Amino acid sequence: MKTVLAAVSALALLAAAPGPASAQDWSLEKAAAPYKGTQLNVVFLDRPGYRAIIKLLPEFEKKTGIKVNYEIVPYENSREKQVLNFTAKGDLTMALVDLVWIGEFAENGWIVPVETFTKDAAITDPKLNLPGFFPLLLDAFGSWGGKVYGLPFDNYSGLLFYNSCKLKQAGFDKPPATWDELLKTYAPKLTNADKKEYAYALQSLRGETQSADSFMRVLWPFGGSLLDKSFRSNLKSSASQAGLKFRQDLMQYMPPGIVSYDHAEAVNALAQGQVAMITEWSAFYSTLTDPKTSKITDCLAVAPEPAGPAGRLPALGGFSLAVAAQASEKEQKASWLFIQWATSEEIAKPYVEAGGVSGRMKIYEDPQIRATYKFVEPMVASWQKGVPEFRPRFPAWPAISEVVAEWGTKMMLKEVSTEQGADEIGRRMEDVLKKEGYYDGKKPLLQ
Amino acid sequence: MRPGARSLAHGRWTPLWFLAPAVLTLLIVGIYPTIFALVTSFRRYNITRPRDGFPFVGFENYRAVLSDQTFWDTLSRTAGFFLTVIPIQLALGLVIALLLHRPGWGFLRALARVSLVVPLATTYAVVGLLGRLVFNRDFGVANWFIGWFGFQPVDWLGSPSLAFAAIATMDVWQWTPFCALIFLSGLSMVPMEIEEAARLETRSPLALLRHIQLPYLLPGLTAILILRSADVLKLFDMVFTMTRGGPGAATELISVYIQRVGFRIFDLGTASAQAILLLVLTIILSRLYIRFLYREISA
Repeated sequence: MKTVLAAVSALALLAAAPGPASAQDWSLEKAAAPYKGTQLNVVFLDRPGYRAIIKLLPEFEKKTGIKVNYEIVPYENSREKQVLNFTAKGDLTMALVDLVWIGEFAENGWIVPVETFTKDAAITDPKLNLPGFFPLLLDAFGSWGGKVYGLPFDNYSGLLFYNSCKLKQAGFDKPPATWDELLKTYAPKLTNADKKEYAYALQSLRGETQSADSFMRVLWPFGGSLLDKSFRSNLKSSASQAGLKFRQDLMQYMPPGIVSYDHAEAVNALAQGQVAMITEWSAFYSTLTDPKTSKITDCLAVAPEPAGPAGRLPALGGFSLAVAAQASEKEQKASWLFIQWATSEEIAKPYVEAGGVSGRMKIYEDPQIRATYKFVEPMVASWQKGVPEFRPRFPAWPAISEVVAEWGTKMMLKEVSTEQGADEIGRRMEDVLKKEGYYDGKKPLLQ
Repeated sequence: MRPGARSLAHGRWTPLWFLAPAVLTLLIVGIYPTIFALVTSFRRYNITRPRDGFPFVGFENYRAVLSDQTFWDTLSRTAGFFLTVIPIQLALGLVIALLLHRPGWGFLRALARVSLVVPLATTYAVVGLLGRLVFNRDFGVANWFIGWFGFQPVDWLGSPSLAFAAIATMDVWQWTPFCALIFLSGLSMVPMEIEEAARLETRSPLALLRHIQLPYLLPGLTAILILRSADVLKLFDMVFTMTRGGPGAATELISVYIQRVGFRIFDLGTASAQAILLLVLTIILSRLYIRFLYREISA
């Protein structure tokens, strides 16, 4: 973290250093003039943050004459599509980097560190202000090995969304502050299986949803973690086991078949009044407040995720945008202009108003934004402290995620105990890490 | 025109020119990728580790695959899936074909034949998405249907055994019409006079089926078994969109596992070795079907 902060400060100084263009002279239109007509290619997802930037895109294209071509792909295929494009030297000029891909993309040289561009004052907005991003986001989503590669673009924090009307009916005038309280006090009163009403839903479909949203979510707040300091499995530690056993205890208060719930099903369960609470990404706020998709718009309330014995360590997720190394120099510079614009303080407000979640701190100081969007306060609170390696961000994560997804689900289904599951994951995970060279000193223990 | 050029364009070379486009296309889309996969299966080939290079490693990938318990688990699950769906598809397909082969009901028969094509024409991924809706616990048709018989709603996609049943049901829905159409074409090959003579001899439909119609159905049955074996071994889209191989590993068929190794972990060397082993298995099964089931029919 310290190295990243140092790098950010250095970059901020570089960006602020007087160059050929001073702060008054610089404008996006002028900077983009040499790149007029350049075509940029990027992968987008079908999520609110992308719909928001697409809505604002004509403004960028009009100002710069640069054309941004985007292809919307499902999340599950987005890494595959980009990896194949980068290895085949395809046409993508930018990378959409999920926080767990940053190690893989950076170590393979598929993305370019931003210092390459910040050195060039002609294409760097003097108001770039890297320290204006939430440090946690810039560190987790955009940085690897002490270097900044991408700027936080589509930003999520895990939040507790709840049906305040249901909680009131059950005699609660505020949401649970701790996971223990959720399980022991709230869940029994909010569950009525005969009426198909349940206290809580934790999206746990096999895949990244199981490994990241479900499994990791119960490790950190209980003081557990996937790996110890020497990169050996830490899943048999008492803290990790406590978290995993907690999830098993919570199963009786969740809808049957929770292992087949993806994000859409969990959000829908809350939106249709089937469950009283979910812990989901901030990005789903707009779905839950839209009367077309939600029956609980008047009852919806948002709070930070409950705290565990180790404190409040909510799920952290999101994407940065980085310049692709395979692009030509002209395309790289034009891409850098786009990335700065899309993540700038200047468009943060219209971006949030169009449904996006900006990674800029300043926008959330706006009283109007704070008043309009209920998720802002808990989200900002969540981003003050967190674990950048909530899910390890090294290149081995996709292989480990598959193992965790399989055995994590088996634990939930009680096909194996939490101890047996931890043994299986630990053994397979250490095999993967051994092949990667983490145990013979070939690779630094970065996650 | 020179005599040499003329002989290349005509005469014994003529068939070559007619065949060339098909052969070339086959070489590009079929043979080349297969050879590439074969070569890749002998390399350490992870495209997310370009710095490690792609060295030849002999049979290391094959050794790794054959000693991988997950590979054998998914293969035996796939065999279980095949043995579950095929008898149902064959039985239902035969019943439908026999019903459609009966004389009379002209318009209805024509309508039924057209409707049989609908599941076949549906993309696998869409079948999976339909499956998610059909087997949804709260508003799915499956629970509504079992409710008629007094059963409580069950959680199809959240329980390992029921999720397996759910993907098997969707496969049966999609491929029973294929079996029916193949059997129907077999039945239509039975010479009318032989069938009519047999009907005079016996009133038992079973005897008619066993002694007259069955021999004509065997080539179709062999084709169904060959095609469905290959198809089940590469069945991916429907399962992935419906369950992603879960819950746990309950619906993780071999192709879902190969996709996981190939396109999540990007270990293309191991994934190619797995795919080549499946190709060998498909060829062996096809040879066995032809050896033991296929009979030439002389009308």
